[in-house]
Amino acid sequence: MEKLKQNPIVKKLGLNRILLVCILVLMFVVFKVVLGSKFPVGDSVKSTLNYVYFLGFLSLGVTFVIATGGIDFSIGPVMFCCALVSGYCMTSYGVPCAAAMVICVLIGLAFGIFNGWLVSYLSVPAFIVSMASMNIAKGIASVFTKTQSVSWPLSSDPTNGWFRNIVSYKGFPVGLVIFLVMAVVCGIVLYNTKPGRYILCLGSNTEAVRLSGVNTKKWNMLAYVICGFLVGIAALFFVATYTTVQPGYGDQYNNEAIAGCVMGGTSMVGGLASIGGTVIGVFIISLLQQGIMAFGLGKGQQMIITGIIVIVAVYADVSARRRKN
Amino acid sequence: MGDVILTMKDIDKSFPGVHALDHVNFEVRRGEVHALMGENGAGKSTLMKVLTGIYQKDSGSITYKGQEVAFHNTREAQDAGIVIVHQELNMVGDLTVAQNIFIGREPKKGIRVDDKKMIEDSKKLFQDLNIEIDPREKMSNLTVGKQQMCEIAKAISHKAEVIIFDEPSAALTEKEIADLFVIIRDLREKNYGIVYISHRMDEIKMITDRVTVMRDGGYVGTLITKDSTKEDIINMMVGRVIYEDPKEHSMVAPDAPVVLKVEHLNAGKMVQDVSFELRKGEILGFSGLMGAGRTETARALFGADPKQSGKISIMDKQTGKLREVTINTPQDAVKYGIGYLSEDRRRYGVVVQKSVNENTTLATMEEFTNGIFINKAKEKKVSEKYIKELATKTPSGDQLVVNLSGGNQQKVVIAKWLTRDSDILIFDEPTRGIDVGAKNEIYKLMSKLAAEGKSIIMISSEMTEILRMSDRIIIMCEGKVTGDIDISEATQEHIMDKATRNID
Repeated sequence: MEKLKQNPIVKKLGLNRILLVCILVLMFVVFKVVLGSKFPVGDSVKSTLNYVYFLGFLSLGVTFVIATGGIDFSIGPVMFCCALVSGYCMTSYGVPCAAAMVICVLIGLAFGIFNGWLVSYLSVPAFIVSMASMNIAKGIASVFTKTQSVSWPLSSDPTNGWFRNIVSYKGFPVGLVIFLVMAVVCGIVLYNTKPGRYILCLGSNTEAVRLSGVNTKKWNMLAYVICGFLVGIAALFFVATYTTVQPGYGDQYNNEAIAGCVMGGTSMVGGLASIGGTVIGVFIISLLQQGIMAFGLGKGQQMIITGIIVIVAVYADVSARRRKN
Repeated sequence: MGDVILTMKDIDKSFPGVHALDHVNFEVRRGEVHALMGENGAGKSTLMKVLTGIYQKDSGSITYKGQEVAFHNTREAQDAGIVIVHQELNMVGDLTVAQNIFIGREPKKGIRVDDKKMIEDSKKLFQDLNIEIDPREKMSNLTVGKQQMCEIAKAISHKAEVIIFDEPSAALTEKEIADLFVIIRDLREKNYGIVYISHRMDEIKMITDRVTVMRDGGYVGTLITKDSTKEDIINMMVGRVIYEDPKEHSMVAPDAPVVLKVEHLNAGKMVQDVSFELRKGEILGFSGLMGAGRTETARALFGADPKQSGKISIMDKQTGKLREVTINTPQDAVKYGIGYLSEDRRRYGVVVQKSVNENTTLATMEEFTNGIFINKAKEKKVSEKYIKELATKTPSGDQLVVNLSGGNQQKVVIAKWLTRDSDILIFDEPTRGIDVGAKNEIYKLMSKLAAEGKSIIMISSEMTEILRMSDRIIIMCEGKVTGDIDISEATQEHIMDKATRNID
């Protein structure tokens, strides 16, 4: 094992990430072998990717927040709030589709600013802030839509159907490309820019960074703003694949997004984040959902399994840190 | 004074690399107040921790009420009747006085707590001590002085026979101290054995019967208080041979300009009306005992903690003239060229999970970025330059700081401020937790920086360090400046005298 760790290729890619990819492949093979025809390869890949799109953006977003040592439990409901409010503007007030898409992202951004300001400048614990804004997001969506579900245009829609091209264009997985490009951008921001450097450093030791003359509040807040922006984009991909959103839901995606992120090696204590890990983690979670469904299990079982994954991943991180110290 | 209740004989205790207690003797009689004195790090606390079972002695014997004892934890010591009243009070603010006194051993009535009995018992305790406190009052509503009385009542309710007061007066007002002394005298009348740890010389004279002095983990001697003078005690406290050569005279040019002027700085209780000047190329030592307010002064000056008032002026690099500045955050301080090196490097100095390179540029990010992108090549170059210059022992700049030793972590923090080109550096206990070899390197480095024209404020609790490094020495006691002397006039006795002075 030690020898393997020292291998230059392994070192470059990271042992954890290699293991995660192996798990991903293994899962796929097991599902295929056990389920046989109930797990058709082409359809399964397609539905996994559909899941990856929205979950991936959520997970990338929350990676920034967790890197600061914070947490955001509002991402799922905020995503729904974005899709519902902007979609309702389109269906009931005749706002053009393109404008609705912009509104969708802006709502996510607004929530990010709100959460970030409360956490950074007013020092309200992130846990409480995000729990509260989860409910606020659900409430706004319900009030605005008068508790009705909202459906975004189908691809057959002559005027607005084009927006579905963000997921796939004539069978080409545009969504995958957008997601991967965004992941690379996130990676660059986190590892090669000043804001990213500050976010990681303050996640590791806020006080030392503050005493170095850095405005830690500003950069801490930025992580939440980035998260909010990505949640807004996640909402677009959600409606572009699943069309309809219902007010009052979205919580289950919190757990899944955080699971993907933590599984990929981002530490809940802050300071350590892996965008590559998050991407692989998201694929694993998404594939798992398809597998669970193919097994004929329901949403309940799905929630149990992701819950357990979060606990195991966080425990692994905590115990690894304890061993190091 | 009655018969001997407690004898500690030849107590020896080592920690890795430190001989904390070197054959120390100490005894307490019934009905006496016995002071335990010594500089910071003399071993007073360690000795008391050995007594109460927090640490286990390596050798020596403890005889209590005629029997040899060895406690394994504070609970055992408490059950035997030896109790510490701590400097930081261990009270739960949201509980009542009675609940605090009987915490963990509440009288029961069936499965319910017998509140009535608890309150009655507390009342009786207070009556015996002539203290007026309502046991039903919430702890957080009491003053610190009253809270301490509760702590004493709690100690007595444990059937204590030896009570150890660890700097009890540190947080009290004059009036509260007077009340405390009434109680301590009363306890002495009642034949308790009392250990009194304090830095305040006048208190020692007022309340204690005997004084035992410790120095560098060793036992120096025991005096009868009323037969000895303040000078006797101070001489025993500081009378160590200084191996390193003290500085004989200031290295600062006589015409060196003032680069920092602090006037009437006030920040909470620990910084009261502090004024001083720092000159170019000077190492200004800040001496004083623990809790003198030196770190608090530095933090307030640096904008790390809020201040109530005060004027700070810094020399303008262009004009060479002093200019008043506003420093409300560390950002401001850094902008004006001040760098702060905390005594607690791991918490306030370095980001341990990040690399040497990343830590080096932390305060100067804008010089290493094109737009928002970090120029990692430039970062590496500068960081490696300082690794070489400061002789930081690290395999490479990519090494995580957590893997470096204390001395090398300190060098990384120094590199951070040198990269920033800070002109005023505040070293807070620069060599704490650093081994001897690395210590000398840090000293050399500080002298070199001063010679190059940097100005240094050095807070230190080590007398040898103060006398070896400083050009001038500011002495603080309880939040106030009590002395400002040139190195040529400084002696240990002189400094210790000012550091234990109570001014009102």
